[in-house]
Amino acid sequence: MSPDKTSEEQIIHTICNSHCGGICEMKVHVRGGKIVRIESGGEGETSHRMCARGRAYRQRVYAPDRLLYPLKRSGARGAGEFTKVSWDEALETVARELKRVRDTYGNAAILHFCSLADAHVVHHAQAFHRLLCQFGGYTAPWGFISYEGLAFAAGTTYGTPPAAYTHEISERAEEYPKARLILMWGWNPVDTHQGTRTPLLLARAKEGGTRFIFVDPRYTDSAAAFANQWIPIRPGTDVAALIAMAHVIIKENLHDPRYIDTYTVGFDRFKDYVFGLEDGVEKTPEWAADITDIPAATITDLAREYAGTKPAILEAGYAAGRTAFGEQFHRAIAVLEAITGNARISSGGRAGSRALRRILQIPSPPNPVEMSVPPRWNALPYRSATVNSSARVNVNLLVDAVLKGKAGDYPADYKLLWLSNTNYLNQLSEVNKAIEAFQKLEFILVTEQFMSSSAKFADIVLPVCTFLERTDFRTPKAIEPLGESRSQLQICEALASKLGITDYNDKSDEEWVQFMMTKLSEEFTKAAVAPDKKAKDSEHKLLSTPSGKIEIYSQLIAEMKHSLIPPIPKYIETWESLNDPLAKKYPLQLITPHFKRRAHSQFDNLPWLRDLQKQALTINAIDAESRGIRDGDMARIFNDRGEVIIPAEVTERIMPGVVALAQGGWYSPDENGIDHGGCANVLTKNVTSPAGAFPSHTALVQVEKAEK
Amino acid sequence: MQYGFYIDQTRCIGCFTCVVACRDWHDVPAGPASWIRIKTIEKGKYPDLFVAFLPVTCYHCLQPACIPACPTGAITKRDEDGIVTVDTETCLGAGCQLCLEACPYDAPQFAPEEDAKMQKCDFCVDRWAEGKKPVCVDGCPMWALDAGPIDELRAKYGDVRCAEGFLYSEDIAPSVIFKPKQDAKGLVTQKILMSPPAP
Repeated sequence: MSPDKTSEEQIIHTICNSHCGGICEMKVHVRGGKIVRIESGGEGETSHRMCARGRAYRQRVYAPDRLLYPLKRSGARGAGEFTKVSWDEALETVARELKRVRDTYGNAAILHFCSLADAHVVHHAQAFHRLLCQFGGYTAPWGFISYEGLAFAAGTTYGTPPAAYTHEISERAEEYPKARLILMWGWNPVDTHQGTRTPLLLARAKEGGTRFIFVDPRYTDSAAAFANQWIPIRPGTDVAALIAMAHVIIKENLHDPRYIDTYTVGFDRFKDYVFGLEDGVEKTPEWAADITDIPAATITDLAREYAGTKPAILEAGYAAGRTAFGEQFHRAIAVLEAITGNARISSGGRAGSRALRRILQIPSPPNPVEMSVPPRWNALPYRSATVNSSARVNVNLLVDAVLKGKAGDYPADYKLLWLSNTNYLNQLSEVNKAIEAFQKLEFILVTEQFMSSSAKFADIVLPVCTFLERTDFRTPKAIEPLGESRSQLQICEALASKLGITDYNDKSDEEWVQFMMTKLSEEFTKAAVAPDKKAKDSEHKLLSTPSGKIEIYSQLIAEMKHSLIPPIPKYIETWESLNDPLAKKYPLQLITPHFKRRAHSQFDNLPWLRDLQKQALTINAIDAESRGIRDGDMARIFNDRGEVIIPAEVTERIMPGVVALAQGGWYSPDENGIDHGGCANVLTKNVTSPAGAFPSHTALVQVEKAEK
Repeated sequence: MQYGFYIDQTRCIGCFTCVVACRDWHDVPAGPASWIRIKTIEKGKYPDLFVAFLPVTCYHCLQPACIPACPTGAITKRDEDGIVTVDTETCLGAGCQLCLEACPYDAPQFAPEEDAKMQKCDFCVDRWAEGKKPVCVDGCPMWALDAGPIDELRAKYGDVRCAEGFLYSEDIAPSVIFKPKQDAKGLVTQKILMSPPAP
């Protein structure tokens, strides 16, 4: 269907809305009801220009594999065999199953997960939440997949939510050009780019003379662009390096005693740990060198340079927090920032931005499943009672909860799973275990745009339109929905009526946007008349920790009484480290980084993007040579959890002993269950870190050359 | 008048935005034919490394090697702006490829089809007509690219003609200037990647 060349071209200004977390300006050219081109919006160097993924969005909208009709499973779960059904039949089936599970097992048996990463507001988690709460409740997950370690550290150390949303990162990024040193710890914004403005500001900093040090197992594209120095580090050992840096800083009196006295609590206990008074082990650079593979002299120099350069910015990526005990990484970062007087709280800014998300929501009654239930043992004060509810299940453990239920100390037995805005099976840990759980469920509903790895296991798949086909906050509709696809809100509305819920929705998309605009302006008016909270925050006096200060020793953590979550940050050796006996069989550490041409598993199917980079196992030349693997050879990557066969990319840009497989490749098993899509989570382990971090970078594997 | 490109190689992060923006604007399907591509130059041995990126396209040379190489005169250089264009009606297509052989920068592109005609960067002539710069320039999230009359670019950015991964040819005089990224240590090149890969 080619557009009518004679019809007039319209340009719709919107915001790219994908799983990266970015909010880049987009101009959509529409002719005859069809998107013909996409341009970057905005003028001047302050605008957010789209990345390659946004520029490929036309291919996403018109992808030949777009789901355009409701589907009902006709083959075995996972086989991907479906038949087209009417919306009426699909929704009748879903409504019948929801009612049956509720009436037989209770509302808690219904699990629903909607990933929060897309920047939608109307067509987002709250739309589903409202419907399911009106239906009598459901079990929701807790924990951020991307940065729960940071969320925990921010909540316990500062008493604030993490600065994690794009506009907040951008706000912080404006400071880059002022820094004399930026220490990029496990952070690769060139590939993950939650908005393209971050690399631009890093470039401006570099042009202004800022020095960049990268601590990372890989010489990433960010390192390529900005690094003055690259310090390779063994995955999972970051805390040891940070603690040894603290050792140098304290021993050489490079810390800031006035700042520590005024704004922190627990420094002495931390010092006792660092100098071995607590456990008899002094955390010297030599101690850390053995653990991290960073020479002791390099750690010493790094500590001196970080403490001695003002202003210095320590940018901790989420990656090192997505390891076993990842929460310790973000706690240690916070402490290092605090003892050097480099802590940048700016919680006014964070709270404000965070509030934006809370304001812009479809309202909902409370979730009955979460009412009159005590909070979880690891509740964080900044979180709402519902998010802290012990009825919730850690997001990474949904499949474990399905497999074990009450017998495994989960709050309920789970029978029905509804996934929206997520390719859960592909993107959380241990795919083969997830498959086992998916097979056990009585009913699976997936709302999707593509036949994702997760959708293949669904009993009913409902086709969702893209963000260009409906109206949401700052994203006006550009074209009509393709085929029979519908918006998230339309789907929930239609399902509500099948469930006999009559007061689900009384507004059009445009009215919801207006509703949110009104709330937003009310909130801004309130903020304008409130005292200048931000100015006070900069004095570090308004922290909502128990002590009101930065808690190097966290009272909240102490009260949790968990032996693996110490109240001062400590290095705890990960499971599946190289000292694990398992390392004899599986001697390589696997990390699963983000990929430039995808946003998690989104965009993997688009030819324009697939052209750019090959999904491959990155392996150091030394490890490749000892295995007889040459660049481009097929490699088997395996452990007890599964096997992936994928081309090897032999490179100098990763440390020996570490291999990387970018997360987000679409799981494509052969008849033996061996994946050929490069799905990294076939190999990751389905556990969480004690405080809830998703340890996607902690896994041992072996690699061999694959037989052709 | 001669138009040309300015490429700030120190700013290029290899994000491929220019590649996809160009494909979208000019409706170029995925595959080996891509009017602009990214070259990645990797040098050194672990852990002493240097990596540079470079956008690679047609540089609308002052003395294009492709023009005399073409047996049918399908390639012409416009008087008004020096933009080199191809007439797909007269181009002999993938069976010939003499233009590609002649071009030191691999600017002429051929889709995999047997009868594919030569295609390449046309400097977004349609956009200039609307007062806009090429889509790669307007789309670069790092503001690493510029385009315009080459004299004006030289006055603004200087006249550096070589970059990491690019050698200036005096004979054909490509219309491009750079802010190059320099490997101060002179490390040995280990690997050069071209994305999308050449056929």
